[in-house]
This record gives sequence, C-alpha cells and structure tokens, in this order.
Amino acid sequence: MKYIYNIIKADYLQRTRSYAFLITLAVTIYVAYSFVPPPTANYTTLTMPGYKGVYNSAWVGYVSAMMTTVMLSMWGFFLVNSGIKKDIDTEVGLIVATTRITNLGYLLSKFLSNFLVLLTIMGFTFVVSIAMFFLRASGSPHILSDFVVPYLLFALPALFFISSLAIATEVFLRDKLILQCIAFIFLFGFILGGLHGMPNSNSAVIMDVFGVKTLTGSISDQINTQYHAEVKDISMGFIFNHHKKAYKTVVWNGVSWTNVFLLSRLVWIFLGFAVVYISSLFFHRFDFKHATRNRKKKAEFGELATEVVYKESATINLSKLPKLLPDYGIIPFIKTELLLLIRRRSKWLWFIIAAVWVGMIFAPMDIAYGILLPVIWFLQVTRWSELATKEKTNQLHYFTYSSYKPLQRMLPAQILAGLITAVVLALPIIVRCAIALNGYAVFNIFSGAVFIVLLAVCLGIISNGKKLYEILFFMITYLLTQKGDIVDYLGAVPHNNHALYICIILGLNLLLAVTSFTVRNYQARHL
Amino acid sequence: MSLVIKNLTKQYDKQKTGLSDYSVTIEKGILGLLGPNGAGKSTLMKIIATISKPTQGTVFLDGEDIVNNPDYIRRILGYLPQDFGVYPNLNAYEFLEYIAALKGVGGAGLRQRIEMLLEGVNLTADAKRPIGTYSGGMKQRIGIAQALLNDPKILIFDEPTVGLDPEERVRFRQLISDLADDCIIILSSHIVSDIETIADEVAIMKNGRLLDKAIQPEIISHADGKVFETLIDSGDLNVIKAKHLIINTTRQKDKTKVRYIIKNQEPEPSSIPATATLEDAYLFLTQNA
Repeated sequence: MKYIYNIIKADYLQRTRSYAFLITLAVTIYVAYSFVPPPTANYTTLTMPGYKGVYNSAWVGYVSAMMTTVMLSMWGFFLVNSGIKKDIDTEVGLIVATTRITNLGYLLSKFLSNFLVLLTIMGFTFVVSIAMFFLRASGSPHILSDFVVPYLLFALPALFFISSLAIATEVFLRDKLILQCIAFIFLFGFILGGLHGMPNSNSAVIMDVFGVKTLTGSISDQINTQYHAEVKDISMGFIFNHHKKAYKTVVWNGVSWTNVFLLSRLVWIFLGFAVVYISSLFFHRFDFKHATRNRKKKAEFGELATEVVYKESATINLSKLPKLLPDYGIIPFIKTELLLLIRRRSKWLWFIIAAVWVGMIFAPMDIAYGILLPVIWFLQVTRWSELATKEKTNQLHYFTYSSYKPLQRMLPAQILAGLITAVVLALPIIVRCAIALNGYAVFNIFSGAVFIVLLAVCLGIISNGKKLYEILFFMITYLLTQKGDIVDYLGAVPHNNHALYICIILGLNLLLAVTSFTVRNYQARHL
Repeated sequence: MSLVIKNLTKQYDKQKTGLSDYSVTIEKGILGLLGPNGAGKSTLMKIIATISKPTQGTVFLDGEDIVNNPDYIRRILGYLPQDFGVYPNLNAYEFLEYIAALKGVGGAGLRQRIEMLLEGVNLTADAKRPIGTYSGGMKQRIGIAQALLNDPKILIFDEPTVGLDPEERVRFRQLISDLADDCIIILSSHIVSDIETIADEVAIMKNGRLLDKAIQPEIISHADGKVFETLIDSGDLNVIKAKHLIINTTRQKDKTKVRYIIKNQEPEPSSIPATATLEDAYLFLTQNA
C-alpha cells in the first residue's frame, strides 16, 4: 500500500501546485459565496415557488452542502478528468507501465487523488458556508453539525462517485475530451432529470447519488405541514428570475435521516470502488491503439527514412539557397493557426458541429441564440483552450519567443484565428439577426466571440494550461443555457440597460487583451 | 561581426544562479561550450537568443544592445534549442513555412529554399508526412533546417547532436564547418568529440562561471604532462581513484587499463605519459575549479 500512498501524494501535489488550481480555489470561494444569495438577488439556489427559507443554521448548511455537491460534482469532473492523460502526455505512463504496480493499484491511486483534489475544494466551500451563515443569518444560533453532517452525507459520497466516473471516462474514452464531456453531461442530466419526476420512495432515495430528493422532499414536507400546501416542485441550482414575487417564509431545521438514505450513501461509495475495479479490467496500461497506430506509422516511416538517409551526402550551402525577402505580415500565422484548429481532434466532432450549425438555421431564434450558439462555441473548447498554450505544450515556445516581434504578430494571429472560427460558427444567427435588422444582437455576438476567444488566450497565458478555461467555459455555458444573465457574454439574455451591458463586455475584452499582451510580453523574455 | 558579453549574471532565485559575472567576446567562427549539467550553457544561449533576460550585464552585437533591442538579433538568428518540439499535425513544408513566418521572411524563393534545406537534411522523401510521425533524429534534422531558414548570421545550437545517429553526426559537423566562414556559431554539447572536431575556440564553464576560453591547443595545454595510462589489477582501481582523477577505464581480461590525471601527486609506478586531449583538459579544469 505504501507505493499507492506515494503515487496519490505525488499526483495530488502535482495537481494542486499550480496557478490554475489557485485560481480555481478563488473561483470556488466566489461561487460558494453565491450559494447563499442575499434577499435582493435576482437568482435563487433552491427554488420553491412562493416560498423562501429562513436563513438559519440548517438552511445555510444544508443548502450550501447540496449546492456544493451538485455544482462541484458537475465541474469538478472536468477538473480531475485528466490524471491519466497527464501521464500519457508526459510519458510518465510508460514508466508506470514497466513497474510492478497493478492496473487496479494505479487506477485506485488516481481515483483517490481525484477525490482528494475535490475534497480540498469542498473544504473551502465548507469554510465559506460557515462564514456565509454569520454574514446572512441574523439571530439564529450556529449549530456546527448542521454544516458537518450534510457535507459528510451529501457531498462526500457524491464526490467519491464522481472521482470514479472521471477514471472510467478516461479509461473508456481515453483522450476524447469532448466525448467525455458529452457522456458526463448526459449522465449528469439523466441522474438529475430522472429523479425529478419520481415519487418519494426508497428506490428513489437509493438512486439519488446527490441526495437532492431527500433534501427537497424534507423541505417540501415542512412547507406542506406549515402552510397545508401541496408543494412538490422544488429545484436546485442557479435559477435566474427577474420578476420579484411575494413569498412566504419557511422555517426548516434540517433532514431527518432514514436508514435507507444512510444505506444509499454506502451504496454509492461501494459503486465508486466498483467503477474503478471494472475500469481496471479494461485499462490500456499505456499501450492503447493510438500508440500502436503511431508506432506502426513510425515503423513504416523508419524503414523509408533508413532508405534515403545514407543514399547520398546532400549538403547545405547557405550562399546558394534562394534569397528571401522580409515579410512581417501575420497572414501566414493565421493560416497555420486555422490549419491547427481544423486538424485538432477527430472528424466525428465536425459532424456534430455541422448538425448544430444547421440546427441554428432552422431552430426558433430563442433556442438557436440562447442554447445552440453557446453549445456550438463550447464544442470548440479544446481548440480554443490551446490557442495560447500549444507552443508551450509542444515545446515550440523557444522558436516563437525568439522570433521577430512575436507579440505584435503571433498573439494577434492566434486571437484572429479563434475569432474567425467563432464568427463562422455563429454565421446562421448573425445572418438571421441581420435580416431581422437586429444590429444590437449582431454586435453582441461579435463582442461575445471576442470575449470568449480572449478569455481562452488570457487564461491560457496566465495559468499556462487549458484546464481553467475549459472548466470556466463549461460553467459559463451551463449557466447561460439556464438564462443566467451574469454570464451572458453574447447578449442571449435580455438586459435592462443595453449601453451598460455593451460597456461591460467591451471593458472586459479590453482588460483580457491588455492582460494577455502584458503577461505574454513578460513570458517571452523570461524563459 | 562580434558578440560582446559583459558581466552577465542570471539569478533565478536566491539559491539558483544560472550565470555569474560572465564576460566573453565571440567573433566569427565556431565557439564550443563545454561544461557539466547546470554549468549555465543553456542559460547563456537563451540570453543570446533573447528568450531570457539577464539579471545584470549586457550583450552587444556589433555595438547594438540586444538585451534592450532583441529584434536586432532576431532577424539574423538561427536557434536550435535543446528540448524543442513541433506541431505534430503539420508536415515538414507547413512547419517550415510557419517558422519562416515567425522569422519574418518570405517571398517567391521560400518554397525552393525549404525544398533545398529539406534535401540538405535528407527529409525530402518524408516532407509531406505529419511531423508527429517522425523519429527523434528526424525531428532533430527538421530543427536544424529551421535554424538555417532565414540566412542566419548568428547560429546557436544547444546539444544539436542529441538523437542523431553516428553518420548524421558526421554530416552535421561537416555542415557546421561549412557555415562557420560567414557566421558566429555557438555550440554546446556533452559530447566532447563533437566540440573537439569542429570548434575553433572552446569555452569551459562550471557553476555559471567561465573557467577558460581559448583555442583548443591552449585549453589542452592545461593538462599537458599530467595525463598517464597504466595497466593494473582490477582490484587496485579504488587505490588510484583515491589519488588521481580517472578519465576512463578499459577492461582487458583480469587487468584494467586506466587513463588518469595526476592531481598533486607523482604518477603510479609503471605508468606511461599520454598525450592530453580536450576531454582530459575539460575534466582537469572542471574538477579542479
């Protein structure tokens, strides 16, 4: 077991000792702060039509724990789902494959490392939730168990299971990040959506990995008892509502745990182990098809190379080579950047993108603009996240940083290439808005494209990695499809003050651009 | 053309010093950098290649300060880093076109120049394959081609022969020698024989400091009269190790032939003096520094 402990420790330290993780923690603290909205907020995190909970210890503790469970399960998956890929990229995997460690031992250590990373983040939300109690609640006594118990019973088993899912998707879907995203979102939606219509029964409790049903059931029981009502429709998650309605207050003191619920938590922990065990039976041990295919290519190629290498002794006489002219334009860069974007990832993704693109032509405008456009842009996440990081990933930064005026030529070309893809993908909506003479929407789409591309470039440059942008982009897209105006970067949600909205997006674009150029300027001279 | 480096210091943090008060003048020809790991060779090269700023000191190319005006050297710079990479999805033509754009060169002759360079590094037959499928040696050769793309006057090669097979190494040495008439070439290598064969001058470094820089005979003269060879019983090796600096050992059945440098003691009985080489001088200087 000693070696497993060492792998977990090394993996955990490697993941957490990065700027990206620090920024993730900062975002986590902000998100945890938003779990307990002030009374004047235009959103709710636990929505009960016509009712509102009194901010006592149980309410703040349970709602924070539940929001942490659901939200961290969702985006935490994307945070931890590249542990094996990292070993493939760094070729540490090849060393691992030659050691005595079993597949199960290796995957178990990765799985527990995933869990520890999520647990660390959960620890921060736990502390913030206690702080939020003292900030928002007035007069209620602070009961520590109202915070500890829900985090222990809701969040821990759920995060345990999510950590195992991250392992399974990496084993079965390997490096296909988009496919992993789609599979996970589908599964996530299936779990949450499937429970929504189910009656409160033991089987529903057991199937509820997040424990949402138990919590919402308890709250609705309280409302129905207190007001003799028949409330069933309680939802979790950020729900934005601009229309303030009158509401009644509910005093709720927490969940009465049942044996079935406690059993269900153990079942999900057991299932987490089972998923890892099953994955270990199919684990490629770094000898997957892709590598085999590449090796085949190399082998064929090696023979060819041997044939030509020593055939004749060619020489290079610099004075006899054709003279070149100075050419400081950025068109060749844009061409290469577009080539790299297009050749990135598999062809099947282009079919999905084509389908969504055609869908944007025919779908009702609110769906096309509010859902399909954010989704089709999100499908570029792995392409855009590489815009400003691929030189470092491919160790080409020595060339780019020592080139002639890299900041004035290279970085703008990367931004423009990203922008061109964003605009081409948004063309159906742009044309439809233009035909409808909706210049405001057209402008917003353009500035939104600039924003999302600049965000990729800026976060890539600052964090030296792709993960932060990928997680943030996922969260933005998710919240945007829920009509969250706070993340509306492309004008898909109505805003009261158009001028202010435009100014904010333009200001953010300017900030991102200035930060990107400043930091890259520093990096280019400080290798 | 001359590159004047004055009092260069690179301090990464309180503990780690890359270069320490390093001064050297480099003229046309080949300068070979020798030094153990952490000697500061790559740091020096990065600073000249303008991708790292010194903490103190200046670098002048023909009187122009390239620390403050990096674009002055970038136009005529060819740089082959130690751990460079490629975009695996591009083929050799696309990659070199991209590098040409980085270097700010183009025009009608670009395609032909790329073809001639690829021919020169024996990659023509494979030029349309994605570079991701290349072997290590082939990638190294594409790296050499990119360094020569812009008609460079300053060439910096950091461990250029890594990954090349023996014949390719010979070809590379020949190529470097041919280029040396018009350019300043700075070359680092752990393989002393590479430097010995082609470098006009050698700079020996350790712990970020310059131990010596001179033409090869002068460097070698440091070890003159100090190198000996002897045949001993294998069991006696540790006795010699304790007294002298071992250069190499060769097993010959139950005996071992030892080549060593004397420190402050007399040579072993029955030893015969040997002609000093660059490797002997390098080890002598770095061990005694």
